[in-house]
Amino acid sequence: MKGRFLNQVKALFLQNLKIELSTPERFLSPLLFSITIIIMFSFAMGKMEPSLIVKTFIAQTYLTAFFALQVSFARAFDPDTHDGVFQQMRTYPVISSAWFLSKYAMVVFMGSLILIPTMLVSLFFSPAVDLSIPLNFLLIPLLVILGLSPIGVLLSTMTMRSGAKQIIFPILYFPMTAPVLIAAVESSQAILLQQSTVSELMNSWLGLLSIFDIIYITLGLMLFGELVKAE
Amino acid sequence: MLKIENLCFSYQFRPLIRNLSFEINKGELCHVIGPNGCGKTTLISIIAGLLSPNTGSISWQTKSDGITKGLAEVIEYLPSEANSLYAKMDATTNLRFWAQLRGMTITTPEIFAELEKWDLNHPLVRENFATEKFSTGMKRRLALARVALSKTPFWLMDEPLYGLDTKGIETFQHMLKKHLNEGGACLVVSHDVAPLAPLKPKKIYMTKEQETK
Repeated sequence: MKGRFLNQVKALFLQNLKIELSTPERFLSPLLFSITIIIMFSFAMGKMEPSLIVKTFIAQTYLTAFFALQVSFARAFDPDTHDGVFQQMRTYPVISSAWFLSKYAMVVFMGSLILIPTMLVSLFFSPAVDLSIPLNFLLIPLLVILGLSPIGVLLSTMTMRSGAKQIIFPILYFPMTAPVLIAAVESSQAILLQQSTVSELMNSWLGLLSIFDIIYITLGLMLFGELVKAE
Repeated sequence: MLKIENLCFSYQFRPLIRNLSFEINKGELCHVIGPNGCGKTTLISIIAGLLSPNTGSISWQTKSDGITKGLAEVIEYLPSEANSLYAKMDATTNLRFWAQLRGMTITTPEIFAELEKWDLNHPLVRENFATEKFSTGMKRRLALARVALSKTPFWLMDEPLYGLDTKGIETFQHMLKKHLNEGGACLVVSHDVAPLAPLKPKKIYMTKEQETK
């Protein structure tokens, strides 16, 4: 059973990866969107106080990543919707948690492909941000991706199965992402402006962020099977 | 043996299938016939596990006393209007993927041998050639190759002959005959009666008034 589970995760993940890499425009367009926003922001804001630069860096990083990831999530099941692949998968003995985890891993990977270059460009336009800190700071965007991705996978599945189609995505996605993003912004400010350590923050905002990650991943594992079972 | 007992299904308030019961034994081909809109595809979707019946049961009995729990383990489904192919992937990758999902280890020569039967084994077709560039008939043949490679005991096919040329129909007949001779079973929904006639199918007639015969 365990061997079959891992084989299915691997087969599904590699298949998704091959498809994503054969259609690079699927992640290039949200990435270019993010970078364009950051460049426009930096020109529009002009010269700023160092503390304001850091705050702008945090805001623009999560804001652009949020919208870019939303585009990416909404397309998570695109290759499966063609030619009845998704329906066929539902008739196969696929373990639902294996299916969810493979999609989740794929979305985390694609999210990282968007977020990492976005942050690098953002840093380039934010000279006041101490480059020695971001190593510590990288944990937060990672937790953001880990927390937002299960919501993305779940909502993409719901969008595909729902008669309401795309309208369901923003209605549920925006409120569900709010706690993750607020905790991420507060943690980032604490690390970059108040020089707080990760262990200190685990009792406050970073702890909250981690808890929401666990909740959303658990929700994904529990609900995905319900979303793909017989109507 | 596939056993269907007292199956009922309604779309909204419109009853489509009422108290349908039948069995398909080892080595048996079952041909479901009926006019458009009488519920043939709905029936096949229920057996495939895509729709839940309102009442009734579907079970797969392996021995006189044993009933398998998961129909997905024993059924390979071929839908009518789709071939379940990843458009950007080539034929070999598509076949390998579906086999892996069933937990099967399939070798490249095995895949090539199956593609050969379906006239898809040309080096410029089988690899590095996205299936989105295939013709309708080629896609159908590849989907049928997937069914054959699944090695499941029960095949569920909705209009399997769609888009097939004469040679493709002959290959389909050989494939189905071999499957039945090996103890497999099959349920086919098709308006094409003649190509299935040599296999002497058990016929199930469905009508819009739904008195299944």
